[in-house]
Amino acid sequence: MQREGSPFTGLGPVFIKELSDHLTSIRMLVLTLFVIVFGAFPVASSLQTLRTVVGADAYLYLRIFTIEPEQVPISFITALNFIIPLMAIGLGFDSVNSEFNRRTLSRVLSQPIYRDALLLGKFLGGLMTLAVGLLALWLIVFGAGLLLLGIPPRGVEVARAFGFLLVAIAYGGVWLSISMLFSVIFRSTATSALCALGMWLFFFILWPMIANAIVLGFAPREITSVDQYVGIQEFAIAIQRLSPGTLFSEALLGLLNPETRTLGFMLPTQMRGAIPNAPLPLDQSLLLIWPQVTGLIAGMIVVFAAAYVVFQREEVRA
Amino acid sequence: MRRTIVLLALIATPVLTAVQVLAADPPKPPAAAPTASAAPALHGLWLLTDYPSQTVRPGEVATIRFKLQNSGLAPETLAVSVDGVPAGWKIDVMGNGQPIAAAMAPINESVSLQLRVEVPKDAKPGSQNIVVHAKGSTQSIDLPMTLTIGKEVPAKLAIKTQLPSLIGTPKSSFDYTLSVTNDSGKEMTVALAAQSPGNFQTTFTEGYGTNEISSLPIDAGASKDIKVKVKPPAEVKAGDYPVLVKVSAEGATAEQKVTLQISGQGQLTLTSKDSRLSGEAQVGKTSEYTLIVSNDGTAAIDNVEMSGSVPADWKVEFNPKTLQNVAPNEKKEVKVSVTPSEKAIAGDYVASFRAGGRGDSKAADFRITVTTSTLWGIVGIGIIAIALLVLLGAVARFGRR
Repeated sequence: MQREGSPFTGLGPVFIKELSDHLTSIRMLVLTLFVIVFGAFPVASSLQTLRTVVGADAYLYLRIFTIEPEQVPISFITALNFIIPLMAIGLGFDSVNSEFNRRTLSRVLSQPIYRDALLLGKFLGGLMTLAVGLLALWLIVFGAGLLLLGIPPRGVEVARAFGFLLVAIAYGGVWLSISMLFSVIFRSTATSALCALGMWLFFFILWPMIANAIVLGFAPREITSVDQYVGIQEFAIAIQRLSPGTLFSEALLGLLNPETRTLGFMLPTQMRGAIPNAPLPLDQSLLLIWPQVTGLIAGMIVVFAAAYVVFQREEVRA
Repeated sequence: MRRTIVLLALIATPVLTAVQVLAADPPKPPAAAPTASAAPALHGLWLLTDYPSQTVRPGEVATIRFKLQNSGLAPETLAVSVDGVPAGWKIDVMGNGQPIAAAMAPINESVSLQLRVEVPKDAKPGSQNIVVHAKGSTQSIDLPMTLTIGKEVPAKLAIKTQLPSLIGTPKSSFDYTLSVTNDSGKEMTVALAAQSPGNFQTTFTEGYGTNEISSLPIDAGASKDIKVKVKPPAEVKAGDYPVLVKVSAEGATAEQKVTLQISGQGQLTLTSKDSRLSGEAQVGKTSEYTLIVSNDGTAAIDNVEMSGSVPADWKVEFNPKTLQNVAPNEKKEVKVSVTPSEKAIAGDYVASFRAGGRGDSKAADFRITVTTSTLWGIVGIGIIAIALLVLLGAVARFGRR
């Protein structure tokens, strides 16, 4: 059964329609408010703390993102780690099954639009909405920094912060594709929302404990050599990295803390002769976080592919 | 209250007297014995001076010491006067710095007196006789003296040292102790000077003092120690350098030659070819840097051995490992290859290189930026490509018409 024409015919209209639907919806307004409140609070507090810092810091702007202010024990990136999945799930949990429930899906597909284009258009529309929201937040942070710190950021700081924005969008994409997968699988929007949120809670609350338990189960009774110890530590980190949140926070650590030399386990002997607090050049930092970024992007694509396969096999005439 | 004080006084008085008696008594017998045995008691009153005939100079003030000696006589007031003062001269009798008219000598003791003789400028050469009288109620004594108008003794200085030649390196400082003697008849202020080869620094200090001086006063006939510190310039070549120390005062000069024997010293410097002390290295790969070993000193350095300390599990090799000889002002290249450990983490590290030879050694810290291979970046792109292929495969497999 060979089909004719590109599978992406009609991608444009779907993308535009989806984007305009999202941007005009009350839900988007609520999510934006949510993100701004969650993001603005740590940023305002960290700016307050940074204004009292006297010493020269080559990466002052990046500290807005990373420092934990004294008043609130949460940094901007910790807040984002938590809030981006919620935003993505909010945008994607009913993208397909609501059309189904409103019985508009067969009407859309009767147009010269392939299912491929519909799903991809919906995904890209959601991702674009997410990107717009994050970009707005990012600009707010930079603007507040300019206003309250009174110094312009350096080029390398802007480059690193821009990298942070891209990583954040990729992280949002992972959760968007996960929520779309559930919206494809379940006909009920409530069920798909519940499953997506459950997944989110699972990775945030349960996964660290489960990972610990797994490591304890695999660890030998007695650790006899350094190699064994290193092996266990690396295994523990690898298991933690199955959670997209871990990948996201590690990538941000490498990007926004230029002094980060490694994200894995490190023996003290490897630090011998190292100059402490010497920042890595940008390309080395990018190489350092590249596996994490790869994991996020590849994960996003694979989950989307799964949603695609499920969607293609579904009966849409109901 | 008063009664207790009186009581205390009563008790104290006998005690104190007893102590005084005890303290005063013992020295007496030994003191009395020599006087008794030394000479038959010579009783009398004398006017004494060391040099009854002296030289004075026109236009100057001379001070002549004399004394009034009393042996075994009862003290008596003696009027002191001078007779025979030549016209235009002024002679005063002084005691304790003040003009006096009378003196009194205790038993067996003497009183020091001076004659202050002001000689007029136009005094003619020749001798003048004066007589000093001491006249009391019972006795009168005389002291005749002769004052000769003399010519001035020419100023004369002498300088000598015990250690005229010292050995050292350009870095050391050479200290010579010199003793300057004033062989003239009066106090002089002696100016100090030193003639040294160019760029040598000379400073004078007095004896053990720390203040730098340019001149110092020396009493007639006395000598003083001065110290000359000579500091050669750092780049001075090996050899003997003479320094002439000159002292002068009122036309008199004296000089002493001291010698610095400077032996050469090598001085190593270690830097890289473009003076940049940083470099890059990739994990597990050997990087080569060129170091420059040079000798800025004045003597050759033998057997310069290269060594380096690097972080754990790193490798460092020098080519050549040993430099046989580095002559002054010579630069030699040494290639150093550094291999970061396979497990090294990206970032900046310190590697310390060291050149050590006979006589001097130098170390240089090198900052090495370790970069990781971009291989894993390519692998990451490959993984994303595989994910996209999976998606395309799904599209091809499940795509509907």
